[in-house]
Amino acid sequence: MALPLRKDDAFATADSEQGSKIVNFTVVRERQEAAHSPEVLASFEAIMLPHLDAAYSLARWLVRNQEDAQDVVQEAYMRAFRSFGGFRGGNGRAWLLTIVRNTSYTLLKKNGAVDTSTSFDEEIHASAYESVSPVTVLERSEDAELIEAAMDELPVEFREILVMRHQEGLSYKEIAGIAQIPQGTVMSRLARARARLKECLAGQIGKEK
Amino acid sequence: MNCEEATKLMDGYLDGELDAITNQAIEQHLRECAACAQTYKAHGSFVSAIGNAAPYYKAPAGLRERIQASLRKEIGERSTSNGARDNRPSVSGSEASPRSVGSGISWNWLALAAAIVFGAIMASNFVPRIRRSEGDQFLATELIASHVRSLMATHLTDVTSTDQHTVKPWLDTKLDFAPPVVDLSSEGFPLIGGRLDYLDNRPAAVLVYQRRKHYINLFVWPVDANANKETNPISRQGYHLLNWTDSDFNYWAVSDVNADDLQILKQQFEAKTSHH
Repeated sequence: MALPLRKDDAFATADSEQGSKIVNFTVVRERQEAAHSPEVLASFEAIMLPHLDAAYSLARWLVRNQEDAQDVVQEAYMRAFRSFGGFRGGNGRAWLLTIVRNTSYTLLKKNGAVDTSTSFDEEIHASAYESVSPVTVLERSEDAELIEAAMDELPVEFREILVMRHQEGLSYKEIAGIAQIPQGTVMSRLARARARLKECLAGQIGKEK
Repeated sequence: MNCEEATKLMDGYLDGELDAITNQAIEQHLRECAACAQTYKAHGSFVSAIGNAAPYYKAPAGLRERIQASLRKEIGERSTSNGARDNRPSVSGSEASPRSVGSGISWNWLALAAAIVFGAIMASNFVPRIRRSEGDQFLATELIASHVRSLMATHLTDVTSTDQHTVKPWLDTKLDFAPPVVDLSSEGFPLIGGRLDYLDNRPAAVLVYQRRKHYINLFVWPVDANANKETNPISRQGYHLLNWTDSDFNYWAVSDVNADDLQILKQQFEAKTSHH
């Protein structure tokens, strides 16, 4: 059987600027960065500030409260600015989101809020899933509050992949780059995340009864 | 392909992330296996439902200003202090050890000189390639700038309506051409409204569509007989640009949704406008 993903995905950078203007641009910018000139700041802001909502949304879904999410985003922007010389042009949003994600995890670990070995109790949810019909789950899956409550129950690695795909519309390739996992893993993790979300939705609907 | 493989590839297929051969194999299997076809259909509805329903958290007011203030402080600090740093709120504690700025000025000039020399060398190497596409690149920059501006303030739409029969007459009276306007709600791209813009030295109509939580600006202006060519898709800074033309108009779709979504928009738009 063919590879599940397009072969050229692995290295393709659909950036028409690469190899031409951007090379010059990046080199100059990197040297200036050592001095952190206002020009660098202007270029940093022009490229990165448009992605503020994306950055905040990811942080908000990861750390799950407004104040922490704002601190994370601010810290991420500072980190991004300090290492802006390492930005090679191309996808500014994916680059920034990688830093936002790392910063979020730093906070979660510091607060002891993230247990990377999070074991999800499949038994409990599986039983709820059986008592609520799949049709009901589907009917209710456009209910924003219900989705939000169900997503909140998911382990962090499932939450983030759902947010990156469904809210940001990122490609598997972009997600693979941000979460530092192979593209094949993006597909299987997304599949598991959606399956779990279905179960959690059933659980939420079951609770209402 | 058997059922197990088809199940394993389901999410990749629904997300449009598989290669053409695998897609065909799956579609072949779905024609032959009613159970899998049903599973795909149900999961597909679920996937698109959660995409629409999951709340998108917008950055709270003031966060942008807060970040800009810290960034300015960071610059000021580097250039005026001698390495002393105050305790800014930090999630991780102190990373990024302070760089020496003792000889900041001479380093500045050295770096600038090096940059100019290096830049000149690189530029001379790449001049032919730049020239070939610089018109498109300049237009791409204009288009992205307009897209970003439209989302920054409250200037996304001049006429806000999901009704194509409201948007079209509004645009027609403001422009010396009559751009096609179609609603693509049923295709997953609800029309939000329209806007006027000025691009590439001419007035342009902008149709604003929504895709999930994101906006797509579709710029439309009459085709120029002298430069009637389509530009290849461009991706830059996380934005995707897709250009196409028909007999009357030149179209540029700009958004941060993925490139595949723009292709779908193009297909649906063309399908709807060709009936007119």
